[in-house]
Order: sequence, then structure tokens, then C-alpha cells
Amino acid sequence: MTQLKLTGISKTFPGVRALDRVDLTILPGEIHALCGENGAGKSTLMNILVGNLQPDEGTIILNNAPVIFSKPQQAIEFRIAIVYQQLSLIDSLNVAENIFANQQPVNVWGLIGFNELYKKATSLLRQLDLDEINPRTLVSKLSPAQKQMVEIAKALSKKPSILILDEPTASLTEKETKTLFNILQNLKGQGTSIIYISHRLEEIFLLADRISILKDGKHQGTFLKQDITKDELIKRMVGREIKALKVEGHSRDEILLSVKNITGKRFHNVTFELRRGEILGLSGLVGAGRTEIARAVFGVDSIDSGEIILRGKTLKIKHSSDAISHGMAYVPEERKRLGLFSEMSIQDNIIAGKLSNAVSGRFYSSTKARTLAENSKTKLNIAAPGVHQRVVNLSGGNQQKVVLAKWLLTNPEVLIVDEPTHGIDVGAKFEIYEILNLLAEQGKGIIMISSDLPELLGICDRIVVIKMGEVKGELSRRDATEEKIMAMVSN
Amino acid sequence: MFQKIVEERIYSLLVLLLFVCIVASLVFPATFPTFENFSQILLNLSIDTIVAVGMMLLLISGAFDLSVGSVVAFAGCLTAFLLQTFGLPLPVAIGVGLLGSLFIGLVNGYLIAYKDINPMIQTLAMMGIVRGLALMLSGSGVQNLPYWFNAIGQSKLLGIQMPIWYMLFTVLVFTVLLNKTVLFRQYYYIGGNEKAADLSGIRVKKMKMIGFIISATLAGVAGILLSSRLGAALPTMGRGLELRVITAVILGGASLSGGYGKIPGALLGALFMGIVANIMVIARVSGYWQEIILGVILITTLGIDKALQKKYTGSN
Repeated sequence: MTQLKLTGISKTFPGVRALDRVDLTILPGEIHALCGENGAGKSTLMNILVGNLQPDEGTIILNNAPVIFSKPQQAIEFRIAIVYQQLSLIDSLNVAENIFANQQPVNVWGLIGFNELYKKATSLLRQLDLDEINPRTLVSKLSPAQKQMVEIAKALSKKPSILILDEPTASLTEKETKTLFNILQNLKGQGTSIIYISHRLEEIFLLADRISILKDGKHQGTFLKQDITKDELIKRMVGREIKALKVEGHSRDEILLSVKNITGKRFHNVTFELRRGEILGLSGLVGAGRTEIARAVFGVDSIDSGEIILRGKTLKIKHSSDAISHGMAYVPEERKRLGLFSEMSIQDNIIAGKLSNAVSGRFYSSTKARTLAENSKTKLNIAAPGVHQRVVNLSGGNQQKVVLAKWLLTNPEVLIVDEPTHGIDVGAKFEIYEILNLLAEQGKGIIMISSDLPELLGICDRIVVIKMGEVKGELSRRDATEEKIMAMVSN
Repeated sequence: MFQKIVEERIYSLLVLLLFVCIVASLVFPATFPTFENFSQILLNLSIDTIVAVGMMLLLISGAFDLSVGSVVAFAGCLTAFLLQTFGLPLPVAIGVGLLGSLFIGLVNGYLIAYKDINPMIQTLAMMGIVRGLALMLSGSGVQNLPYWFNAIGQSKLLGIQMPIWYMLFTVLVFTVLLNKTVLFRQYYYIGGNEKAADLSGIRVKKMKMIGFIISATLAGVAGILLSSRLGAALPTMGRGLELRVITAVILGGASLSGGYGKIPGALLGALFMGIVANIMVIARVSGYWQEIILGVILITTLGIDKALQKKYTGSN
């Protein structure tokens, strides 16, 4: 039986106060749900709890004694285990080896006791009602849902007294979700405390004993389940303050891009239209298929059926270069992995979308590239000593502006931006909103994917809500509220 | 100024080379700083450097090719075989020899780029296959090659051996291509971040395949040149050349993870190794020690380089 008490936890990242004096008490043997929008500080708080991050101030009290976790191993010693949203399994090893990673049973010779390993894994899987998974199966052969369950088994193998689950049902089917809930109830009966993070409010009301709400890094109160209604809960989560954006709609009548009934691996029968001068938001939970739709429109992933029509012409896109030549541009999520050439200079990054822009005579001219890059740097207000600076040394906001600058040089008609303000500071966020707004004013069409609802509501003319790969509905700027969107995605 | 030297391997290597040459000239004034000695050094490294140019291009794009040494033997043996056995005209025989090399590069490139086979495994397998083909074609070797064939590699222009001119020409052409053309500049982006390059509209697969084709074709050029210089085609030509070339290219500023390197670096890397080997011969260092010293030099150079970069650019 463990009681956990967090008092006055604060954490500041450059430009963002992620947590502001948060108090939270987790009782022994309770299921405690943690709610809040993206960016409310839930993940930061959990990362502090498992020792991945250190708080700037505040104390963690475990069974009446203050503790400091300076590295993840220490949290494990105190039997705090976390199941991450992003899977931490190794595909090339089998299920049992993954569950007991770094804690394999050894025999008298000091070698790994494989019989023992498989026996322990089998009994753990049985306990989780996962008889259909053979502990000798390679993890790469499992379905996403099975992987998630193995991940949970891995956390349970540490016999935690506090178990943290971060959006565990995102990839689970209804039946698997039920199984998971039964397991969690059992664990609770054995005295394990569970911290459950989820956007799915129904699950929370089904499962949790108490509910805590975070907004803008601030604790908005803890309630017994029976003391709060769903509407009240949403009301306390949303309404995150965002400085008023002076955005007037620039949407014109001409339809620029029309996506008709496209179906691919992670989305079905998706239809929407984008007008000239419009900023169209794609809203939905992480994993709902928004990014996949964007990638399909840009030609990175193929579609099984449906049509993509740009200015009245049906496009046949095989590669991103075709999309670019038709006047499309795509600012991907995860800018470090997909958007940037980190070790290269600002200049080289900015020219990358269309190297031929820097051709003078017959040859590539780095002087011309520099002029273009310097113009972009001034126009987008990229803070750096010079365009020869490597982008790895820039802040997140400036890196994102470099990616935007790259695409603006290709002079696109349709710009798709995927989580453009993720992980960047407030000031830079507003500059990016202004850039997008200016582009809309010039008559370009913009599709914006974002998990940040106030941001979408602030700058989009229309919002299309995606849930599990399907269009769930469409809201105009006038009708859209956070409550409505939350209700659409979480039901 | 100093920072530029530290950041760009080409400059730091140039400074190091000058230093080594000055010291060697002071210690061995009679034998080292002579025209004959230098033209011998350059002649010896001309074949390696032509191959190294292709390897540099591949390393910039984040790949490498272990089969080049075998392709050197294959191209030489195929051309010699056609000349000797079928008596084909010289340009035709050379053309077929080059096409054969190009085809090997095409197979490597296609399987690596489009079928996702690991470059190391693919080119390692190809290294064995192509060496076998060279043996089949030439048996124990082809001698008594036609006069005009031998003239390609054995004549002189302005008192300098032809292979040196070919080498300088190759380096010059590819320096211009990589610095000055849109098509070839794409290799830096592919090596820098393959996924981002693909999303930026660069046809990564096609470019990767072309890279392997160029590398193999340049190895073919080197192979034909080598047999012409020797006046014979031997199936053992180019043994161990691939590792020597990779060493030279890494010394010249490439990185195994891709994105870095300049074509002149391939020449400077080879030159550095050639000069160090030459000095050791002049100093009568035993052959065993030469290999050891070259290995130590490679590790130390890269170690110092990393340390200096950390200090002066504040990043790793």
C-alpha cells in the first residue's frame, strides 16, 4: 500500500510554464483519472513522477517520506511503473524477452534461465487474459492492440504499487478495452494505485474513483466521480486562455482542393473541400488518422480509392515531387525527424524544397541560394546570426519557421501544416499564426492539423472533425466550440 | 579563419599535408621533394582516387560500396578478354567493359534502393560474385594486350603520366557536379535526412540507384586504366582497394552516417595516405609497421577532429 503526494510541483520550459504549483494526492488502491487538453501538463507531470524530468520546485512524498527521482531507475525501485503512449517494445525480440527486458531470471550458472523466463511470461499473460499470445512470438508479429497489452504486461512484471497508464486504449478494440478494465479493477483490489490518463471521458466515468483536472499547467481540482458531471468536467478542462487572434476570414468561394471519398490504410471514405483563402482545421485525437489523410493528399502514402481534385483537375500523385509541382506543400509533424536537415545550414534547408530556385545560368549558385535564404530569414523573422548557422542550434520555433520558409519558396497554392506549433514557445506560435493568416489573405488554401483546440478555434474558418479514420462532422467558425469538438471526438 | 580550418576537413587536411611535406622535405631533402617522387606518388594513387570519387558521392548520400575492388578487376579482365579472345576494336571493348561495370552498379543500386537490402550486405555479396566473374573471364590473367590499349595508361602529357590527368579530370568534373548542379546537390540532402528529403520532393530511391551506378562505373574506368598501365589484366587486381578507398574518403571528410564530404576531400585523403606511405618507404620502415601506422593515423585524425569540433562549434 503506497500513498503518493505531490505538493507545489512547478516546471518551466523555455517560454512555457508547463506546470504551476500542482498538488496531487494518490490514495492507495484507487484509480485516479487525470484529465486535461493537449498541452495542459499531464505528460510533464507523469514524466516528473517517473524521474524522466526533474521539477523546478515542489516535493514528491511517498509514504510520508520525501523522495527525489533523478533518474528513471529510481522510480522503478520505488515500484512506480508507467505504460507509455508511444510503445517502448523491441520488435526483433519475442514477447517474453520484452516483458522481462533487463530483469531476466538467471539460473545457477548466471545464465538467462529461458525455461523460467517463458514460464513467468506465460503466467503473467494468463493473468492478463492474454492466453492467445505465445511468449515466444516476435513482437513485430503482434497487432498494435496486442503490443499495447504486452506493454502493460511489461509494466506489471515490475509488480508496481503505482501504475501509470497514458492513453492506453487509443489502439485497443472495445473487447480489449473491457479486458483491460477488468485487469485494472483486479489490480486495484490488490491495493495497486492507478493513474489513468485519457481523453475518452466515458472511460473515465466508467473506471475512475477520483478525477483530477489540469489546465494550462494548473490544477483545477480533484473530484469524486459521483460529484462531477461530464459537462462540468469538459467545462473545467477547456477555455484555456489564448490571446485573441485578430483573424478575419479570407475564405473565397472558389474551391481549390476537393478530396472525394478517399480510403487508405488508416482512414475510410474521407471527403472535404478547401476553398481559396481558407484555413481548414483537421481536429481529432492523436491516432485518429489526421496525419495519414494529410500524407495521402500530399502523395506520400497511396490511396486505395477516391479522388483528389486540385483546381478542377484530378491529380495522379505518385511521389511528393508530383504534389510539389502541382503547387502543394506539407509541413510534417515531428519536424526533427521528418522536416529538417538538422546538421545542414539554414540556407541549405530553406532551398531544399526547390533547389532549382537557386540556379543562375545553368549552375546551382550558392550566392543566389544565400540571397533567397536571407530574404526568407528577414520575412519570417528567423532569429539566427546568419543563414550559415546549422539549424540544429536553433530554437524549436525558429526551426519551424525554417521549414515554413522552405515551402513558401516553392510558392504553393495549398499548404498542409501538421502540428505546426507543437513544442514551440508562445511568441513563436503567434508568429506562425500570423504567417498562416497572411498566406490565407493572399488566397492560398491551408489545411491545419492540430491537437491544440484553442489554436484551431482561433484561426480556422472551418473545422473538420476526424474520429477513427472517418469524418465525424464539420463545424464553421461560428458554431465551433471546444465543448462541441470534445464531445464529437470523445464519444 | 582558424574556425574554418577546424570545421572543414578539406582545409585541416591541407594544412596537415603541408606540414607533413615540409617536415619530410627537411628530413629527406634528397629523396622526398623531387618531381620524380611526387609524380610517382600521384601515379600510384590515381587509380584509388578515381574509385574514391564515386565512394565519396555514395558516402555523402549515406551509403557505401564494398564491391568496387572486384569491379576494378572485372572491368579490366572483361575488356582484356574481349580484346584478346574476340579481337574486338578497342573502343567497343572498352565500351562493353564500362557497360558491364555500370550494370553491376545498377543491380546493386536497384536492390538497395528499391528492395531495401542493406548496402553492406548487398555490396559484400556482389564483391564475391564479381571477383568470381573476373576469374572466370581471365583465368590466371590476360597478357600481351594491344599497343593502343597500353598507350591509354602508359603515355605522358606535358611530362605527366596520363592516369594522373584522368584522375584530376574526374575530381574536377565531380567537384563541379556536386557543388554546382541541382541534381547532384540532392545527395547532401539524402545523406542529411532521407525521410525529410523524400518529403521535400527529392526522388530518394532513384538518386540512390544512380549513386551506385556512378560508383561502379568509375570503378570500371579505374579497372581499365589499371590493366592498361600494367599491360595485363589480372583477376587479383583491386584486392583490398575498397577498404583503402573508404579510409581515404573518411580521412577526406566524409562521415559514415552521410551528409558530409566534398569531392576534393577524396583526392586529399588518398594523397595523404600516399604521402605517408611514401615517406615510410623512404625512411625504410618495415611493411608491417606501415599498415599499423596508417591505422593509427586514421583513428587519431578522427579523434582530434571530433575534439576540436566540439570545442569550437559547441556541438557534437
